[in-house]
Formats: sequence, C-alpha cells, structure tokens
Amino acid sequence: MTLQTTASFAVAKKNRVPLAQLDVRSGETAEKLARILPRTAGRTLRDSTFNSAL
Amino acid sequence: MTGPLVPFREIVLKVHSRCDLACDHCYIYEHADHSWRTRPKAITDEAISWTALRLAEHAKSHALPSVSVILHGGEPLLAGPARLRRVCEELTAALDGVAELDLRVHTNGLQLSPRYLDLFDEFGVRVGISLDGDRAANDRHRRFADGRTSHPLVLRAVELLREERYRHLYLGLLCTVDLANDPVAVHDALVALAPPRIDFLLPHATWDTPPARPDSSPTAYADWLLAVFDRWSAGGGTVPVRLFESVLSTLAGGPSLTESLGLAPADLVVVETDGALEQVDSLKSAYDGAAATGFDVFTHTLDEVAAHPGVRARQRGLAGVSGTCRRCPVVRSCGGGLYTHRYRAPDGFDNPSVYCADLEALIHGVEKRAAGALVPPAVTDPGALLAEQHELTRALLASLHRELDGRGGAVWERAWRLAVALDGGPLDGILAHPYTRTWLHHTLAALAEGRPGAVAGALALPSYLAAALVTAGERTPVAVGYAHGLLRLPTLGELDVGGPAESGEAEVRAVAGGFAVTAAGRAPRRVALDGRPAEGWRPVRLVGGRDGAPPLRLDDLDPHRDCFGVPVRPRLSERESAEWDRRFTAAWALLRRYAPDQAAEAAGALTTLTPLAPEPPRDPAGTPMLPDPAGTPLPRDPADPLALRHPAGTPAPRDPAEPPLSGRPPTHAPGVRGHGYGALGIALPPAPRELAMLLLRGFRRAKLNALLEVSDLYAQDGWWRHPAPWQEGEVPVSGLLAGLWERAGLTAFDPEGADRARRALTALASAPELTAAGRRLVAGLGREDAARVEERDHD
Repeated sequence: MTLQTTASFAVAKKNRVPLAQLDVRSGETAEKLARILPRTAGRTLRDSTFNSAL
Repeated sequence: MTGPLVPFREIVLKVHSRCDLACDHCYIYEHADHSWRTRPKAITDEAISWTALRLAEHAKSHALPSVSVILHGGEPLLAGPARLRRVCEELTAALDGVAELDLRVHTNGLQLSPRYLDLFDEFGVRVGISLDGDRAANDRHRRFADGRTSHPLVLRAVELLREERYRHLYLGLLCTVDLANDPVAVHDALVALAPPRIDFLLPHATWDTPPARPDSSPTAYADWLLAVFDRWSAGGGTVPVRLFESVLSTLAGGPSLTESLGLAPADLVVVETDGALEQVDSLKSAYDGAAATGFDVFTHTLDEVAAHPGVRARQRGLAGVSGTCRRCPVVRSCGGGLYTHRYRAPDGFDNPSVYCADLEALIHGVEKRAAGALVPPAVTDPGALLAEQHELTRALLASLHRELDGRGGAVWERAWRLAVALDGGPLDGILAHPYTRTWLHHTLAALAEGRPGAVAGALALPSYLAAALVTAGERTPVAVGYAHGLLRLPTLGELDVGGPAESGEAEVRAVAGGFAVTAAGRAPRRVALDGRPAEGWRPVRLVGGRDGAPPLRLDDLDPHRDCFGVPVRPRLSERESAEWDRRFTAAWALLRRYAPDQAAEAAGALTTLTPLAPEPPRDPAGTPMLPDPAGTPLPRDPADPLALRHPAGTPAPRDPAEPPLSGRPPTHAPGVRGHGYGALGIALPPAPRELAMLLLRGFRRAKLNALLEVSDLYAQDGWWRHPAPWQEGEVPVSGLLAGLWERAGLTAFDPEGADRARRALTALASAPELTAAGRRLVAGLGREDAARVEERDHD
C-alpha cells in the first residue's frame, strides 16, 4: 500500500484548492513555497515592532 | 560590540511633545524621565528637514528597501494639519526613489477629523489608536486632566476610521493591560470596533517600580493575557493580535514581531521635537535621561546613533540578555522581554524582565493552546507528509505557469489546460514522481535568472502529461516535443523517433498494453509497457515487487535525476539491472526483518531508486565520500560508518545551507538536491546488508528533508552550537537533529549507535531552537527509544 492510499492523503486531496486557482503569491501557498524556493530580493514593507504604536 | 551596524528601519518622529490627555500610566509624563518639560511643543521646521535628509541618507547608504516613520508624541495631532503636511511632504520627497516609505501615526484619537484623515489619505499615513477596552476600562487611566472621560471622543475617532472612505487607513487599536479590567470585556470591546490589528502592552515597570499585582500572583499578567487568548481563539482568532502573533511566530521557529519579545535586534530610533536623537522612548520608564544619546539630526548621521553603545546593547541577540535568560528554554520567544522592564538600579539592564514569570507562563500557555496549529499533521502522519509534499509540487507547477506569464505560447497554454483538466486524476501520479519536482525547480531557477532555454525547458510539460495519461490508460492524445531524435516520457522511458539532429512534435496516445507514437512524416509505432526493451525503446525498469519488496522504479534515464551531488550512473545494462533487482530484494528482506515498521513506511513513501557512480569521490585526506542517498555527500569515518569525519582540530563545518537569521530551515539550491520525496540515489554496494543500511539511512534522511520542506522543526538563528556525541566539536541544531534522526532509525543495524542517539536526545530536549513541531518529532524518538529499551529488558 502506498501512502497515497491512506485516509489522511485522501482527506487532503478532497480539501485542496484546484490547480488553476492556486494563488502562489500570497497566503498559505506562498508560505509553503517560501520553504523550498530561494528568497527573492524585493522591496517589502514590514510591520512596525515599536511597542508604543502599531 | 563589533560587527556591522544594524541600520534603523523604524523612525519614531515626535511631532508634538505635549498631550491633551493626562493618562496616569503614561511613560512619557508620569514615569522617571522629565525631558519633555524642556522640549519645544511642536517639531521645528528645521528638525523636519534634517530628519528627512538624514533618513534618506541612511536608507541610501544601507540600500534599505523600506523605512517606517511613525508620527508620535505626546499627541501628534496637536502639531496641526499644516505642520503634519509639511512632515509628510518632506519625508515623501526625500525618500522618493530611495526606499519605500511607510508612514504611520499613533494617536489618542481625540482630535481626529476628516481634515486630518484627508491629509493622511493623501500621503498614505495609516492610523493607530490607543484604547484600553470598554468605557470602564478606558476610564481607569485615559482621562483628561480635569478627570473627564475621553471614551466617547475615542469611539468617534474609531467610527471615522471605519467609514469606507478612510477604512484603508485604519491600522488598529493599542491597549495597555490593567489587571483590574475584565480581559474578556476588554477583548470584546476592542474586537467590536473591527480593528485590522490589536496589540496589548504590559504597563511599563521596572524592578525598582514593579507592576501592580493585586493578588501577588507572579503570573497574573500571563493569566490575564491567556484569558484574552482563549476568548480570541474561541472567536476564530480573526483579528491579528501582535503579541500572540509574535509568540506563535517564534514558537514556529520564525522571528519575533514586537520589540517587547524575542531576540531580534532593535532597529528603531526616536527623533524628538527639537531634533534630538534618542533610543526607544520606553526607556524613559527606567530613569531620567535613559533614552538620551547626545546626538541630534542637525549634527550627526543616523549611523552615529546606530553605533551608540546603548543602541548596540539592544542588538546583540542572545548575548544581549542576562545569563538567566540565556539559559532559559523559552528565550527565543521571550528575549528577556521589553528592554526597559529589566532595569534595576544601580546594575542596569542585565536582568530578566520584571515580568519574567508572566512571559514564561504566557509562552507555555500559548504553545499548549496552539499545539494543533503549531504541529502540522505531517510531523506525525506519514500520509499527511506525502500529501503536503504533493501540494508543494502542485504549487511549483502553478508557480511555473505564473512565472511564464504567456511566454510559453500556445504549446504551454494547451498543456496547462490539459494539466488543469487532469488535476486530481492522472496528474497526481506524475507530480508524485520525485524528478518532476527537480524539473520544476530547474525551470523556475532558469526563468528567474533569464537563462536562454528556460522557456524551452518549461515546454517539457506535455511529456509529463503524456506519461500520466499512458500510465492511467486514458487515450487522450498529447503532442509531445522531442529533440535530438529522442522522445522522453518521465517514469516510463525514452524512445528514438528520429536521427540525432531531428526535433519536432509527436503524438503520444495510450493504447492497450502501452502507447502509440506518431512522429510527423513517420508511421505510427506501438510500444509495449512490459518492462522489456525494444528497438529504439529504453524502458525505466522496476526492481522488487516480490518477496515483500515494494516495486520501485530503477530510474537511470530521467535527465533530472542528476541531483544527488555525486555523478549518476549512465544507463545500466540488462545484467546490471537484474543484479540491482536481486540485491534490492534481498536487502529489503533484511529491512523487513530488522526494522519492520520503517520498512513498511518506506515502502509506502519510496517510488524511485537512481543508481549512482560506483567510485565515490574522496576528500583531501583520501577518505571516501560516500554519497548520502538523500542527496548530500559526506565524509565517513571508516570506524563508524555513520560518523562525520573532519580533519583533526578543525571545528565542525557549519551547515552549508544554513541561512542567516531567517528562523527557517535551509532552502536547497535546485540541481544539487531538488528532487521530491520518494527518491534515493545509491551506489550499489556488493552485500545486501550494506544495501539495507543504505536504503534505511537514505529513507531516514529523505524523510527528514521532506519534513523540513513542509514544517518548521527548528530556528536557525545561529546563536547556539551543541556538542554532538558522535564527533569532536559542536554542531548547529540542524546537525544534531539530523544525526539523532539517522542514528535512531538505524539502531536495528547499529545497536551501539543507540547510545549516541540517546545522548543526543537528551541534549536536544532542551534546545531552545526547537519549535513545537520539532519538539513533537523529538518526543516521538524518545518514545520509540523507551519502547526499545523496554523490549530489550523484557527479552
């Protein structure tokens, strides 16, 4: 039996976003890709860390 | 402190030094520092101009992608629209073409009106508001000097920000904690105002002026915040809370998100109304003048401030916290707390936080509550790991489509539409092929680098789809490109369709028992998929499939299989392939006998073996570098086949893929190790026992690599090194976990390795860099070890 026939794989497959609708630039998919793709340099705004403001 | 300067990324610009409220918990007016009394009320024109100049100079010299300027005070709106316009105009002009300017203002909201908001809209200034909860909570401290409530005016400001015309400027609400306020009521009151973000501040305190603790509980503030956390989670946790986000980020191995937590270097400077440059102003709670540097914008560059010892002291990461904190397992998430909360006269800031017990309890409390989210199913469920890996490959294919952005022309568009149609069906099989991932990595890298042939590489997609359809027995024809007379079908084999100089397109279609190929100008040809070669047809052969051994592809053809860091074997002869099959089947029998659980899991996960070159390269000392079946060549000590060998006296090398301060596992360069989960590269050893060990070791490494690709097992901040029981010198947490993981899996073949593994387990259990997921993985190894010991003692 391959792991592809396990219940957890089946559940994951049922819940996944169709290929054509995967948003690779934001959200969960982008976070997943960030682990395996080289980081690209770019102008990015970051959130403030100042304790007395947001 | 030596080392390069940490450039400032956040500038707090005090545009007014007075306030129209008299909050009795304010660190500016009610605590130790009194410098506000001598400052000009409003920021001078000269200070505005010089601040803009200094900021642009700083951003340019450090090539900063962006800077944030937070208009602050006192109460910044008291500066008036004209002065605020001047501030925005000068900063915007100075940073134009230099760096992205992120403008914010933090206000009590009392003066907020459309006049201000229209101005802020013009310059993109986002607005944060201080609010301590419902009216009862807010009135506890945030009153006018004459005692009047400010609550209705603040609510009016929030309602303005919630209007559609200004909603994009609404940053959120900042709430100071007071134990006398009901945490649930405070949470509900804030969330009811639909803020995009909330944060909770611990009231400023030091060891000399400790915070109020009505019932003397050392964790009263943690209990309060955890009550908010529980309410927040129950409501879906939809409003981001910076404090909670920071703890969740660090527990997952990422960076902290607020200066009040974590070990990230402080990169913030304050400009006062008179142009004086100061350290972060919460220091004003410690002692009078605590934030002063002696520098100003007229005379000094921001680099000079960045070199100030007080500023540097808050950038030293682990070295900048007290000894007690350095030894604490939650130091990554806590970081010793807000700097000023550590102060005790006369020794200064070299102490834990006056909120130490609260911070520890908060972090443990969040970890316990968020365990489900922090530990992905892939860590404990092999089927979930495979599913996540599969998703990664799908995401890469979608990414390729996006990056091509039409450059693939009609060929790509046709193939993409077919891929979308096969998604969830035959496409799954070919995406599970480990070297499909390698092809995607190679092609994306080539596109990113603008290499010639990158788009042509992407146009191999039809060959993958054809292979998928043929495997599934679905008869949809696919036009597949071929070059040099060679048509490649990944996972199936390669077929000669013309001479070495010929290229073109051929139609591939599944037929009973195989497939048919029709190249332009040639008669159709049928190829049987029975594993046997034929004229011009070289199939990918299988090994195993009997006597309990899983059937695996022996892939010596895929052009993307060369990703193990060691040369691959060219096409094996039929005799060599048969020998592979024989030894593999015998080796698998040993695996099933000595490591049955792992053999079962490996049988479900592995799909592909690739033969590697028989003569491994040697290191300069002449030691054979036996390749890692999962991809990295490593020198081996002949006396201990699992030990890394380093020249005597040299420290263990840093993990070459270790990223700087990312808090994430390494990203592997494609082409060196870019294949998906399920492939092992092995140079066939003579004896089945050796092959069994290589298969098991390879599977262990492949699984750890796969886990690192879909989950965060540890942070790699670079502050800690750990002694490893199997070598001299210390290793980063990645090396300790990898070594433990491998040895724990091989105890069936190497019982002495179990002792080293056990020692590593003890060291890892308290490693601060492990995330919640990493701790779960290590705990699993601990349970397996305990079970083995019990079984052995029982025997």
